[in-house]
Amino acid sequence: MSRINDVGGLQGFAAIEQEQDEPAFHSDWEAHVFAINRALLGRGVYNLDEFRDAIERMPPREYLAASYYEKWFRAITTLLGEKGVLTKEELHLD
Amino acid sequence: MSGDHSGPQASLAAQVRHLESLLEQRGLLDAESLDRDLAAYLTRASPDNGARVVARAWLDNGFRDRLLADANAALPELGLSMGGGLQEQRLKVVANSGQEHNVIVCTLCSCYPIALLGPSPTWYKSEAYRSRVVRDPRAVLSEFGYDLPSEVTIHVWDASAESRYMVLPARPGGTDDLDEQSLAALVTRNGLIGVAPV
Amino acid sequence: MTEPIAPVFAPGDLVRTRLADPPHHTRLPRYARGAVGTIVEMHGRYPLPDNRARRVPAEPEPVYTVRFAAKDLFGEGSHMVTVDLWHSYLQPAQPGAASKEPS
Repeated sequence: MSRINDVGGLQGFAAIEQEQDEPAFHSDWEAHVFAINRALLGRGVYNLDEFRDAIERMPPREYLAASYYEKWFRAITTLLGEKGVLTKEELHLD
Repeated sequence: MSGDHSGPQASLAAQVRHLESLLEQRGLLDAESLDRDLAAYLTRASPDNGARVVARAWLDNGFRDRLLADANAALPELGLSMGGGLQEQRLKVVANSGQEHNVIVCTLCSCYPIALLGPSPTWYKSEAYRSRVVRDPRAVLSEFGYDLPSEVTIHVWDASAESRYMVLPARPGGTDDLDEQSLAALVTRNGLIGVAPV
Repeated sequence: MTEPIAPVFAPGDLVRTRLADPPHHTRLPRYARGAVGTIVEMHGRYPLPDNRARRVPAEPEPVYTVRFAAKDLFGEGSHMVTVDLWHSYLQPAQPGAASKEPS
């Protein structure tokens, strides 16, 4: 089924917002999510296609509401749970 | 949760810290090298790299030809590369001209030549940009303040596979007397993505 | 080792993208399904992401840059859109083929 990330040509999204001289990361946690993902990909815990797939499987409402690195964080925790690296209790997932 | 300063962002920061400590316990993460590796990666990669490539291409036709034919092979001439990531990705450089203008997007996610240019701007990753630029690039460019003459054909490149794209803007007029460094200073990140003339 | 899939398409060839709406990860955008485009170049061989995402074995296959006219994708527009597409997403098209199959 077509997924929420597949937005090319979709109507209704608002004007594009530019932030002048924006930093690479807006918070430390974003930089850490970036680095964690690199580390886990490098170790082969999951591959890049699995990572994208996990982002795409977010419920549409959550996908659209989430900031970019929040999407990454959700995908990482989804994959770590699905692969049994961490338990749901450890991840505080319902 | 009391206090608007906390809330979702503080919660996310706490969740990320929590995840990091779990992964460290599992031996999947080394916190010390994490910060160091990240800083090293980001220092190497910036739009300045793209600007240097463009300035050299404007001054040296041979380099320009080599760049357009095989950008990965040409980058080392400037001491640059698409390496440093987990896998070296193919870079494709597409040249603007009087008749053609190029603009880059990744409609499906956010693919971008990070290894060369550093992280992409937030707007590039937004649903608004990704949805609209393939459908009406002229209107999107106009929103960025760039009104293209109607006779110029726009090519939108959707980076849907393993290639990463960068635009080679046309050299602005009146720049004949500028040296390579001054030419590089004219080039903006928006120009390398294709939402600005340079 | 299995033989690598030989590139079937050459620059200038007309191709039609698959119409299927798969239930899994894919890198054929919805807006480009069932459309006729022109091969710009073959730029490498990579395993199909649809399979990689599901940890299904995947041999490297040719990936092509394919150019579409906006009119053929959206019914309007004077611009061109190029998309990088795996061999598995493409089939040959005849000159004069309908620009988009009905969905």
